[in-house]
Amino acid sequence: MKSRQVAIVGMGLHPWGVWPDKSMAEMGTFAIQKALEDASLNWRQVDAMVAGAYLWMSQQAGVPGALMGTSITTLLGRTGIPCSNVINACATGENLLREACMTVASGDFDCVVAVGSDRSAGGFFRPQSQDIKFDYDYYRYVMTGETNPAYWAMEMRRRMHDVGTTEEDMAMVKVITSQGGQHNPNARYKRTFTKEQVLGSQMVCDPLRLFEICATSDGAAAVVVMPLDKALKQVKKPLLVEAATLGSASYGDPTIILTYLSSFPRPGVLPYSESRNAVRAAYKASGRKPEDINVVELPDNSCWHYFTYLDMIFDLEYGGSEKLFRKGYFNVPDGKVPVCPSGGFGAFGEATVAQGLWQVVEVGRQLRGEAGGGQITNNPKVGLAQSYGYAGNNGVAIISRAW
Amino acid sequence: MAKDKVALVPGLFTWPADKPRLIGSHCKKCGSYAFPKQAYCGNPDCGKDTANVEVVELSDKGKLYTWAVQVQSPPVPFKMEPFQPIPMGMVDLPEGLRVLSMLTTVEGVDFGMEVEMTTKKLFEDDKNEYLTWCFAPVKGSK
Repeated sequence: MKSRQVAIVGMGLHPWGVWPDKSMAEMGTFAIQKALEDASLNWRQVDAMVAGAYLWMSQQAGVPGALMGTSITTLLGRTGIPCSNVINACATGENLLREACMTVASGDFDCVVAVGSDRSAGGFFRPQSQDIKFDYDYYRYVMTGETNPAYWAMEMRRRMHDVGTTEEDMAMVKVITSQGGQHNPNARYKRTFTKEQVLGSQMVCDPLRLFEICATSDGAAAVVVMPLDKALKQVKKPLLVEAATLGSASYGDPTIILTYLSSFPRPGVLPYSESRNAVRAAYKASGRKPEDINVVELPDNSCWHYFTYLDMIFDLEYGGSEKLFRKGYFNVPDGKVPVCPSGGFGAFGEATVAQGLWQVVEVGRQLRGEAGGGQITNNPKVGLAQSYGYAGNNGVAIISRAW
Repeated sequence: MAKDKVALVPGLFTWPADKPRLIGSHCKKCGSYAFPKQAYCGNPDCGKDTANVEVVELSDKGKLYTWAVQVQSPPVPFKMEPFQPIPMGMVDLPEGLRVLSMLTTVEGVDFGMEVEMTTKKLFEDDKNEYLTWCFAPVKGSK
């Protein structure tokens, strides 16, 4: 954020779960109201809003889901503010934070709300049209049967072969992240798991078991951002947004990214390039290095993601994260750098549009020392949140204590 | 009377054919391949001229990069009747493309094993049997 520094002054969540009788606008309104209360602000003081547009439109929600921010204003009350709707799959959350911060950094506005609300509960994601000609996600899906967990399972199989990840390592991810989930009032699954329970759970996509992949959930998250100088007067514990970046994939990436049927690997191009590009941009924007990060919320959609993202966030050699993981480096709550102390996607489940902002809120709770029984023990000052988007999109945020 | 065998989604592989092949595209200028075929070369440093791109039939043999088994049935619009757990994998073709595909089996497969293209029935109705492409391990190969 070059022009004006921007800080988060308010954070709010609607609990994750399965809420069939609540509209997304209703959950989003709840989260915004919580965030405004957190910042001692009211809706009339908000200058602009960016809202996550709902991705799974053909199944539910229609126009109100696509024009989410606009729908939310009918519940909070129409005040005439600019309202943009952003769609970027699971990277929408960091995208929303980025747009809100840019709006403030540019000097356009002083108080901007970012909100993501989502109803993803209901099992495997699936294509959203039956356009046999142009929806490559549709024909990829009907011709191969590849669900998201099946893709993760193929990646996991290869990683096990390449770097020696064990079944025990995979099961221990859930064991460790669930140590945080048990204390989180907004988590869907507030319980711990033993290694035996994880290894005894049903095989969903061999080699991934039920407790090694995340659920799909409903939930909403919101943050309020202001220029840093005003934030310092508004609240006791503003959180400086040091980076809010996005990445898309690079040509030659060997990954067969979800929704696609092939890749054309080129020498020297590493996999998951959208994620590498986003995290590299975040370190560049903030001037931070991996060793500066004290807490991480990463997209643990599965145990494969957990290890893969740690490699990228900490710039480790391929397989380096398993070695540190076995030494307890990422333990919750008392590792050197606790990872997913919220309980992660394992405890929350994916609520696609909302989850990036939720991760930012969870990092913020740790930095502010407000995580109660789930508070990590390393007195964190800087945290990183990363989300992995469908179809080759990624978002990263680095936030720190500004007080 | 025997039912017609048709590709569920036409244009992705050659059909009918004794030796079906995936249909991709090739850039005559920089050599990039894509599957399915696309209108422009995906190389950001290559000219954006659709005339550079030709439609090609891809190799029907490749090497297995990784695999998994989808144990539960994916929800609609996916359809396989009767449903059987789906072995699937990523296959490296000699053109340099890595492609996604169902496999006939994962019994005895290994990394780098040779696989060969075939087809697989997804379901049938009164008139037709609907097919997708599929790769099968080549017996005796590593």
